[in-house]
Amino acid sequence: MASASTEVSRSRPRVAIEQVWALTVRSTLATWRNPANWIPGVVFPLVLAAVYSAQFADATSLPAFPEVDSFLQFVLPASILQGIAFNASNAGSDMATDIETGFFDRLIASPVARQSILIGRLGGAAVAAGAQAIILMVVFLAFGAPVKSGPAGAAAIVVISVLIAVALSGFGLTVALRTGSAEATQAMFPLIFVVIFISSAFFPAALMRGWYQSAAEANPFTLIVNPTRDLVITGWSWADFGQAVGVTGLVAVFSLSLAYRAYLSRLAMA
Amino acid sequence: MTTKPVAAEGLVREFGEIRAVDGIDLEVYTGEIFAFLGPNGAGKSTTVRMLVTLLRPTAGVARVAGFDVVAESTAVRRSIGVALQDAAIDPLMTGNELLHLQAILHGLGSKAADARRGELLARVGLTAAADRRVGTYSGGMRRRLDLALALIHRPTVLFLDEPTTGLDPTSRQAVWEEVRTLNDEGTTVFLTTQYLEEADQLAGRIAIIDDGRIVREGDPETLKDQVGDPTLRIEVADAAMCDIAAAVLAGFGDARPARAGRLAIGLRGGAANLAAVVRALDDQGVPVGHVELDSPSLDDVFADATGRRLEGAAVDAS
Repeated sequence: MASASTEVSRSRPRVAIEQVWALTVRSTLATWRNPANWIPGVVFPLVLAAVYSAQFADATSLPAFPEVDSFLQFVLPASILQGIAFNASNAGSDMATDIETGFFDRLIASPVARQSILIGRLGGAAVAAGAQAIILMVVFLAFGAPVKSGPAGAAAIVVISVLIAVALSGFGLTVALRTGSAEATQAMFPLIFVVIFISSAFFPAALMRGWYQSAAEANPFTLIVNPTRDLVITGWSWADFGQAVGVTGLVAVFSLSLAYRAYLSRLAMA
Repeated sequence: MTTKPVAAEGLVREFGEIRAVDGIDLEVYTGEIFAFLGPNGAGKSTTVRMLVTLLRPTAGVARVAGFDVVAESTAVRRSIGVALQDAAIDPLMTGNELLHLQAILHGLGSKAADARRGELLARVGLTAAADRRVGTYSGGMRRRLDLALALIHRPTVLFLDEPTTGLDPTSRQAVWEEVRTLNDEGTTVFLTTQYLEEADQLAGRIAIIDDGRIVREGDPETLKDQVGDPTLRIEVADAAMCDIAAAVLAGFGDARPARAGRLAIGLRGGAANLAAVVRALDDQGVPVGHVELDSPSLDDVFADATGRRLEGAAVDAS
């Protein structure tokens, strides 16, 4: 009697990669087929960028403002960050929905490698973020705000965007796995917008004053956005790319550690 | 114990202070359909969730397909098919996509997955709807897809948790037919249900569960025979006469649980004494609105074991 019905004679790593890919495709399809999940993450940053560009066009001539072609060029990294923050909530809320509907049980009742379920969710968020960054850069280019570091810089920004999506999704997944509630997960994301606004994303920290400036300078988003912006407005720099990837990577390690602990704890509840 | 597709000893699951499953022992034999019958909250789903490795037992041991559900949980998952209550299916995916995903999760390669999903879609009659999103499926179609998903890897043991709850009679019959066919092909089926008819129609053996404990176990006919006398149910047209009617009926058999507004006894001597009962009630001036005499049913078995009627019995009977 003691013989498994499905003999997995294929190599384990290959099976695990296929499972991660299948779950990433599922996650990506879920985003694509629910326009409410991705349209705001593209449209809202564009609208905000247009408004800010009209409001702060003359701010670029302030003494401490970086050398830029336009304010639009200045806010490109912030717009991408904001769009990703919109969509990164999907990984968490979709996971919570799976828990609420019982689909999560279907997944863990199968012999799938446990980590594949989390990685598949993150894969979906990464694909969405990469596509989103490309769309926003193309639109900004059409409106006269190019990435000065060229294709290499654009590719670097896609990489940074993917990492940001993974890092932010980690927080969403943590809440989703701890609470099992899509509403609770969605409710957490306005906090991320507040943190983005208390950074140099939309205005140089050098032009801020007092506690707000201190908070902005210590904000991890500032440490990510500033070097990314340099890739947009100055040109290619390995140092800038390294800083953006390094800081985002650290945030990702922190958020994914929380998510993985929450995941293990949910599995242990079973 | 290792030769049984499902075997449990002293299985317990507690949620805080609540003991949802309270020391269950059971054995399911190869090739049978075993039904777990009980009302909502009796512990059916909790037991199944432990057997399919979704919940850790608080105490006790269980082996499924020969593997320990705690120590060898991955091997258990490879061996079983599971269709849980509510058919949790992603509404944004198509039937084809879901079957493909399920196949990959069970370690099948793409080619094997494609071949198997075509076969299963045809089997459950969903070939034409395979490329439609599941959100557009009816409840019956979702259940059939759920069944196909559970079968993707040719499991030796199939767990069905309330497979027809909420389905219309036609869809229910379709699911029953499929379960019978699967069983004829050699699949051992463990199903939970709150429907008496479902257990009666499908199961070779039944365990009745109440408050986390198995209160009766056996094949349906033997269980019914154990109840003994047929049940006489009467409805008294004048509620004020109920006490008198109950006193009259007490002379003909022991009271049995009945729905509100009715009285029931186990009629000693069976149908031969029915006329005498009616005469006795008439002599006392009790106006009788309705009389029925039933051979023992699983509901009677449940009532005999628990002192209550099974929830939904009336709906089921209709």
